[in-house]
Amino acid sequence: MPYILQQLLTESVRQFPDKPAVWARGRTLTYRELEQRSNQVAHLLRSRGVEKGDRIGIYFPKAVESLAAMFGVLKAGGVYVPLDPLAPADRIAYIISNCAMKGLITNGDRLRGLDASKIPSVEFSLLTEDKANGLDRPDVVSWSELSAFPADHAPSLQATTTDLAYILYTSGSTGRPKGVMLSHQNALTFIEWCAETFSVRSDDHVSNHAPLHFDLSVFDVYNAIKAGATVYMVPDDTAKFPASLSKWMVEQEISIWYSVPSALVFLLLHGNMKAEKLARLRIILFAGEVFPQKYLKQLAELLPHIELHNLYGPTETNVCTYYTVDRERLKTQDKLPIGKACTNTEVFAVDDNDHIVTQPGEVGELYVRGPSVTNGYWADPEKTAKMCVPNRFQPHFQEKMYKTGDLVMLDEYGDYLFLGRRDNQIKSRGYRIELGEIEAALLSHSGVREAAAIAIPDEEIGARIKAVVALHQPGSLSVVDLQQHCAARIPNYMIPEMIELRDTLPKTSTGKVDRVSLAQASVAVV
Amino acid sequence: MESNLKSQIREFVMENARGKGITELSDADSLISRGIVDSLGIFRLVSFLEESFGVRIPDDEIINDNFQTIDDIDRFVTAKLGAVKGQAPATA
Repeated sequence: MPYILQQLLTESVRQFPDKPAVWARGRTLTYRELEQRSNQVAHLLRSRGVEKGDRIGIYFPKAVESLAAMFGVLKAGGVYVPLDPLAPADRIAYIISNCAMKGLITNGDRLRGLDASKIPSVEFSLLTEDKANGLDRPDVVSWSELSAFPADHAPSLQATTTDLAYILYTSGSTGRPKGVMLSHQNALTFIEWCAETFSVRSDDHVSNHAPLHFDLSVFDVYNAIKAGATVYMVPDDTAKFPASLSKWMVEQEISIWYSVPSALVFLLLHGNMKAEKLARLRIILFAGEVFPQKYLKQLAELLPHIELHNLYGPTETNVCTYYTVDRERLKTQDKLPIGKACTNTEVFAVDDNDHIVTQPGEVGELYVRGPSVTNGYWADPEKTAKMCVPNRFQPHFQEKMYKTGDLVMLDEYGDYLFLGRRDNQIKSRGYRIELGEIEAALLSHSGVREAAAIAIPDEEIGARIKAVVALHQPGSLSVVDLQQHCAARIPNYMIPEMIELRDTLPKTSTGKVDRVSLAQASVAVV
Repeated sequence: MESNLKSQIREFVMENARGKGITELSDADSLISRGIVDSLGIFRLVSFLEESFGVRIPDDEIINDNFQTIDDIDRFVTAKLGAVKGQAPATA
């Protein structure tokens, strides 16, 4: 049984050395090539002083080198940190310093961007290409230098399944992203469950639609590698055009598709998808947000022979529950369940009286325990203590459980239904967004006196973001000024698409900003 | 001479770009890799083109070849307006 992620690759290399492991933008790496390249990356990292547990950023648009980088870092004993190639420099700078990143695997374009923004530099940067103008300096290493390192074996490593494998940064309510620490065991628990439930096979073509800093990609990459299948990374530009995307799915003969529901809704509405053309497609998985029932019914009808599964789980738990769509029940269902716990995971809902919910119709907050659950947030014991709490329902030994903040209800079949959040976290296009992080970005402008971010429900993408802002001096800033200020601090998908300027924000009787009335007024207008 | 069509397209794209913190953009810059057009924004752009220039853009023409840059969009819409003269736009 593999206990660290890189063993999945090494196992598959033995069986399928000449099969393509990864496809990206028309290029492929076979299993042997991926094994050898990642061995060389690992040796190069060691030669640069990387030791067990050191954090290495992966910061370039998806390419076959992405997998060589991920496995290379793991084989060196490091912890990889995927960074959004489109994130503003300020956010990248925060992550680099928050996790004390030792090195980066990046490209010339991104590195020049970091240099221009005067971001505190890491000790070294490995480029996925050769050094070009302005980057000819000792801390920058060309990809071609890898050939000087051994390809046939990885560096020796003493590792256990509880070592960290990667850190995924997700939106934080106090204005800064937080780094969810995932161990080899956390990921493998999920991968083992997937293998058993979806029977991923060596002839599968597994899509990779989600960005690598988004936890859906963990399924795509490691399940494909475990099965000896091929992972097909969706080109970024193709992903933006539904007709191009469905054509790509046909051409690449995708057999397992995994994405957020909003990507599937776009495909459904504008992709001209045809069941007879998607001959090899057998499984569609979706996660990250609620699938609008109306569109799910249309998808189930359009693709009548394809299994549809709803996976649920915050990044902190990988995936903790799932529900397989039952086409008969779907006809009369108003809400799609998030289902029951995955193998080797326990979930339960706790009501306001601190009792575990057992009867249909009862509501509680969902808790998760088991080996897929994170140990917490990097360098943030306070947030960790708030979310990863002692299991008070089991007195015999100490263990932690994760408090999701999600309100659920048990239904008559024993499935959980997602009702909403306890706090101000929202989902838009599957991205997890803390409204507080948007407010903090707005408030960091010296001209802003008050700011409230609100989510306006949207059928296709889950929610659109609006902000209501009061300035110190009315008229001193425009909507575009504020959007640009946000763009330098938070990712594109978090920037409010609408900003309303007011003289003052409405307050509740306790003096807090009255989000409820703001949200109600906004929904009424839209 | 610069066409009125292209300047209207540029103005619409720049309005969206500014909201994402981008103030400089050439007509040949990729709207996707600069993060200006995402999967939602593309349909707003399509509605704008349909309403402003009286063209109908079916889903299979909403592809990278036609929407990668301001130059591409200009070429695409110009071709559609002149479609009677036999210039057919690219499709998926």
